[in-house]
Amino acid sequence: MGNIIHRIVRWARRRSPWVLHFNSGGCNGCDIEIVDLLTPRYDVERVGILKEASPRHADILLCTGPVTRQTRDRLRRIYEQMPAPKWVVAVGTCSCSGGIFRDGYNVLGGIDQVLPVDMYVPGCPCRPEAVIEGLVQLLEQVE
Amino acid sequence: MSRMTIPIGPQHPALKEPVAFLLTVEGERIVESALRIGYVHRGIERIFQRRTYVQSVHLAERVCGICSHVHSTAYCQGVEALLGLEVPPRGLYVRTLLCELERVHSHLLWLGVLASNLGFETIFMYTWRDREIVLDIMEELSGGRVAHAVNVIGGVRVDVAPDQVRSILAQLDELGRQVEAFVGVIEHERTFQARTRGVGYLSADEIRRYCVVGPVARASGVDVDLRRDAPYAVYDRLDFRVVVAHEGDVWARTMVRILETVESLSLCRQLLVGLPDGPLVSRAPRRVPSGEVVSRCEAPRGELLYYVRSDGSDRPARVKVRTPTLTTLITLPKQLQDVNTADAFTVLSGVDLCIACADR
Amino acid sequence: MKLDALLEALQEAFPFKELNPRPVPVGETFITLPPDCLHRAVGLLVERFDLRHLSAITGEDVGDEIVLLYHFWDNQGLTLRTALRRAEARIATVTDLIPGAALYEREVSEMLGVTFEGHPGPQVLLLPDDWDDEPPSYPLRQRQEEDS
Repeated sequence: MGNIIHRIVRWARRRSPWVLHFNSGGCNGCDIEIVDLLTPRYDVERVGILKEASPRHADILLCTGPVTRQTRDRLRRIYEQMPAPKWVVAVGTCSCSGGIFRDGYNVLGGIDQVLPVDMYVPGCPCRPEAVIEGLVQLLEQVE
Repeated sequence: MSRMTIPIGPQHPALKEPVAFLLTVEGERIVESALRIGYVHRGIERIFQRRTYVQSVHLAERVCGICSHVHSTAYCQGVEALLGLEVPPRGLYVRTLLCELERVHSHLLWLGVLASNLGFETIFMYTWRDREIVLDIMEELSGGRVAHAVNVIGGVRVDVAPDQVRSILAQLDELGRQVEAFVGVIEHERTFQARTRGVGYLSADEIRRYCVVGPVARASGVDVDLRRDAPYAVYDRLDFRVVVAHEGDVWARTMVRILETVESLSLCRQLLVGLPDGPLVSRAPRRVPSGEVVSRCEAPRGELLYYVRSDGSDRPARVKVRTPTLTTLITLPKQLQDVNTADAFTVLSGVDLCIACADR
Repeated sequence: MKLDALLEALQEAFPFKELNPRPVPVGETFITLPPDCLHRAVGLLVERFDLRHLSAITGEDVGDEIVLLYHFWDNQGLTLRTALRRAEARIATVTDLIPGAALYEREVSEMLGVTFEGHPGPQVLLLPDDWDDEPPSYPLRQRQEEDS
């Protein structure tokens, strides 16, 4: 019985990941492309991806922007509040590596300076199609 | 009644960017508010000093993702003035076309975000769906939906072919019909009006004291628009009206922005139809002679100022960026005073904050 | 903006100062003033000419001095330029005349270490909470002082 429940939970987790979107210091370009995912052209809700309000409800953290000194601790706190199992997707070149702002005095680099990243989706800004592809590849790995 | 402090942000479902508000409330009423920005501060003005003039175009575009083209326009205009370089007319027309397309995309984006924060999901979905038309046009012209890399020092690097003109005009007509529908919603939809009328009021006097710019200023009756007052690019050759309202509340700001969108669509048509022949760019040298320049543009949120000082090398000695959002941030504590907690996000959305612009 | 009348009024108010009005692109006029005259000059612009729109305050470290540029706008641009000695980077605030200057002064203060005397709330604007190096460092200064 426990095994069946376990399989159902795993199936649901793969088929309907709930994402939390956080901007840790980016220019907004990648953020508007992520919000675009919810809108009629891409409409990821029909494939089960729901944008959540609270870290406690989320499976996947979609993070944009380089990490600035001011957001570092907040980013860590948000990650810690997410219940396991959880994954981090770095969306956009800035969150992969710091991008064009790498040598800024207030910039620490990409998300992986602070959190373990499971999927890197580059692009400046990242296209919505690329974010979807990144999520699909991540979920296939989760199996 | 005892007071309670509610922290909002930097992570919050209604906020697209990290910013922190501390609202002190007495029951349902906000009595005090404080604001903390700087989460998106990347130290761009310092980074400019380490890049060449050409690399800085790429950097200027990424100060903000929503108004990226007008940032690079203000920067390129400044450097072109330092070089004494004249951009050929066709290049200026294309540059202006992207400026106006960006204004349309920015205002529709904002309207969707405001509607979403009011709970009006339908308008959020409709505006962002129709905004895709503008993004498609920008992608067709430049290869990029959000960051276009159209400006170069001396002109632009993309052209508009005759068949593209026809197809873009058709797409703009389709978008125009949708925008008219949105105007109707804002003018007549009673729930929308009930939520936005009388909220976040700023008088013309307060606008002047705080040096507020853009649609927020125009919604309170202050008639300023750099496209008319100090025309840059080809605005002196175009026919448009500056939209001014007098109610000074969130509803007035919405009306100003949506009517500005209608004007911008008309400007786009004028630009496409009147596109002159000729080259797109004047060749620019790598080194810029010593001098300084103050370059101003009317970004979707208002007056954008770039000050550039050159010391004769191939790197700018100083680039100062003053974005319009800074001028509206300073009015937020006043706007939030005595507002119901439920209306807090209406007020915050009404000013069209772009924190990436403010923090740089 | 009645630029000629304005320049005349400024020269009258500061008879022994070399104002050096010069045109700067795009359509601007720059005027130079010593730091102790700046507040009075801004008062003149605001009270006599109703010139209240301060677009920005630019600060720059040019080596031996810290230059401040106050960019005004009224259908054309007017910038007041003043230079502070590094060792004494202080100037009177203009927020009593133009409340909109508050954020601009805070930014110049944290980026260049300039003190705006009389500023109502000189907290840090953009720099992070943990930017409290000892001795203090200012991001836009070309070199940091040991004794600021």
